[in-house]
Amino acid sequence: MSRDALDRRVLAVIGRGVDAPLDEAELDALALELFAWQHEHCEAYRRLCAASGRSPDSVGHWTEIPAAPTGAFKEARLAAFPESATVRVFRTSGSTAGKRGELHLDTLELYTASLLATFGAHIVPEARPLPFVVLAPPASQAPDSSLSYMYDVAARHLGRGEPVFCVTRDGWDPAAAIEQLRGLEGPAAVVGTAFAFVHLIDALGAAGEQLRLPAGTRVMETGGFKGRSRELTRDALHAGIESALGVARERIVNQYGMCELGSQFYEDSLRRGRASEVKRVPPWVRTRVVDPATLREAASGEVGMLVHLDLANTGSVLAVQTSDAGRAVDGGFEVLGRLPGAEARGCSLAADALLGGAA
Amino acid sequence: MKRLRAAAEYIDGARAAEALARTFELWREPTSPWRERLARLHGGFSPRVVDAGVRLGLEHWTLEVMRELRGRELRGDHVAPGVTAVWLAGSIPTASFAALALPLLAGSAVAAHPASADGAGPALFLESLRSVDPDVGACISLDAGPEVLEQVDAVVAAGSDESVRVVRERVPPGIPFAAHPHKLSLAVIGTQIDVPGAVEALAQDICLWDGRGCLSPAWVLAVETPGRRAAHIAEKLAEALDRLASRLPCGPMTAGEHAALRDRRGAAAVREGVELHASGDANDWTVVLDPGPERPAPGGLRFVPVVPVGSVRELVEFCARLHPHLSTIGHAGLGGRAPGLLEGLEAGGGSRLCLLGRMQLPPLDWRHDGVEPLRSLLRLVDVEDEHD
Repeated sequence: MSRDALDRRVLAVIGRGVDAPLDEAELDALALELFAWQHEHCEAYRRLCAASGRSPDSVGHWTEIPAAPTGAFKEARLAAFPESATVRVFRTSGSTAGKRGELHLDTLELYTASLLATFGAHIVPEARPLPFVVLAPPASQAPDSSLSYMYDVAARHLGRGEPVFCVTRDGWDPAAAIEQLRGLEGPAAVVGTAFAFVHLIDALGAAGEQLRLPAGTRVMETGGFKGRSRELTRDALHAGIESALGVARERIVNQYGMCELGSQFYEDSLRRGRASEVKRVPPWVRTRVVDPATLREAASGEVGMLVHLDLANTGSVLAVQTSDAGRAVDGGFEVLGRLPGAEARGCSLAADALLGGAA
Repeated sequence: MKRLRAAAEYIDGARAAEALARTFELWREPTSPWRERLARLHGGFSPRVVDAGVRLGLEHWTLEVMRELRGRELRGDHVAPGVTAVWLAGSIPTASFAALALPLLAGSAVAAHPASADGAGPALFLESLRSVDPDVGACISLDAGPEVLEQVDAVVAAGSDESVRVVRERVPPGIPFAAHPHKLSLAVIGTQIDVPGAVEALAQDICLWDGRGCLSPAWVLAVETPGRRAAHIAEKLAEALDRLASRLPCGPMTAGEHAALRDRRGAAAVREGVELHASGDANDWTVVLDPGPERPAPGGLRFVPVVPVGSVRELVEFCARLHPHLSTIGHAGLGGRAPGLLEGLEAGGGSRLCLLGRMQLPPLDWRHDGVEPLRSLLRLVDVEDEHD
């Protein structure tokens, strides 16, 4: 089967929407075909598979497809198409180690379809266009940011009027964003990074001000804090947003996404009308919680490592292993931050310290 | 503090040396109940690693060595500390044993702050010392808090740069202070040795303490030859680690450590030119032949990057980029004072060269981080001639 035909099949699945379950057999068949395609056309991924002794000949179920850890996206071009066909590269934000993970795309069609389906269902479930206030830079200023692309596309397809981007490549002024929010005359979608919301909360707190955004407004926040603001628990962040912006908790949605994936996960608070921390898994995605020591499925309710299989990643690698801790729950999964890591159990210098201090 | 000072008045370094020698003998015995208890209680490593690490590590910690050390470093006029604060770090029991024992040899009592990762090692060591000589044992306390830093006569602090800095800030000026920040070591294999012999010794260095220590080889530099010797070394090292995995099994790892190892394996596997050897789906060990050009991140937890080097110059350059974080270079097949080894050690800020197989077994009297272990605690005294 050709790549185009595979893309069409995945697009058809996405086109059915987030409420149309994908039959396990259909997912398995599509996943195995995609795996074979990617194995054949992506040399770096083929090396990864060889290291674990697996190939399309030996893999009989989608759960056996070798997952590429996020670190692999920093070391090699994990793309199943020639470099010349690249139309976009999304990159992870910087880290102490310097290298950034990259998702190479030869088409934005699947990425866009997936994001519109999930964003629309979870942030604008009424399907009534709303003005967008975005606490992130526009895609034109951050072309390698998947987040900016997502907001840009969502605002233009699901929003009303010209979206307002409050952040530029040079930074942002929370006071100007507050002015924008004060000027809202009706419900809006206020979306952005978690740390930008912290800045907003802090700016309002410093001014001794609380906003009461128009009824029907919803907030979507995503990402970690990455040293760009004080760190808050998700609960504290949402409480802060509720207090600072006057948006009820059930209208504040966290999105969990990764640069390396073509799809994202949302809490379904808006759809259910009550606050929820459960991340919903789109039908074209499967999320497994595995024991990082054995890679076996964690027992129900146990905390483990999240591994995603995303059919929308047709041009890259569909199985991606994270370093995030999660727990399978009814209707999806919960994200519990990073897996508990290396406390000081030795006297060897940590790699990060070395890279920061001596490289 | 008063109790410690009082206890220290009744003993001296010579008596402490005798007590320590007998204590270390207890720990070295073929079926030492102390080793058995520590292996059972430690929890940070597999019992077999604790057993072997302690047995081998204490092999040469004898009365003779301690007497020589005292004679060598306690010369001339000096004032020994009454009480030394010792900030322990990490989870390696023999490192804690040495840190507690050395001030005693200088005639000082010890107010120790145990590391959170190893409560059992210092406690059992102290119990064994008290069983040999209660008076010497009374010279150690294991419950020191930050307040003692302002009351003691010398301080030895191990830990991360940040931990050492925090301790140092609490110590009044003029108090002798020996810092042992976290460091890294590496192994070098030259061409003048059979690969199987070298990798057997190296595998032990990797497996003892699971690559968590500052003496664990974070890289293996293999002097390359036209016959792809580095690749051969990587392959044979993998086989040696596999054989050793049953005798010295890896200890428990956190979920984050497992995830990090999987991430590193995957990141290595996708790179062109990298050869990966691993213990199947388990995280027991990983060997990665990484020809560069970038220096791979340091290994640990039995993840070992093997880096081919073409010349002594490359070895020295590699070490220089680690400055000042290098501790030890373990070597084989080069000759003990081969060109490059000392130069590399100097360039990286290291202080110890040893043969492979000995990396985890430093002598009690080694000059850890280039510091004389007893003399660094002393206040040296000048008595000037009285005549004009």
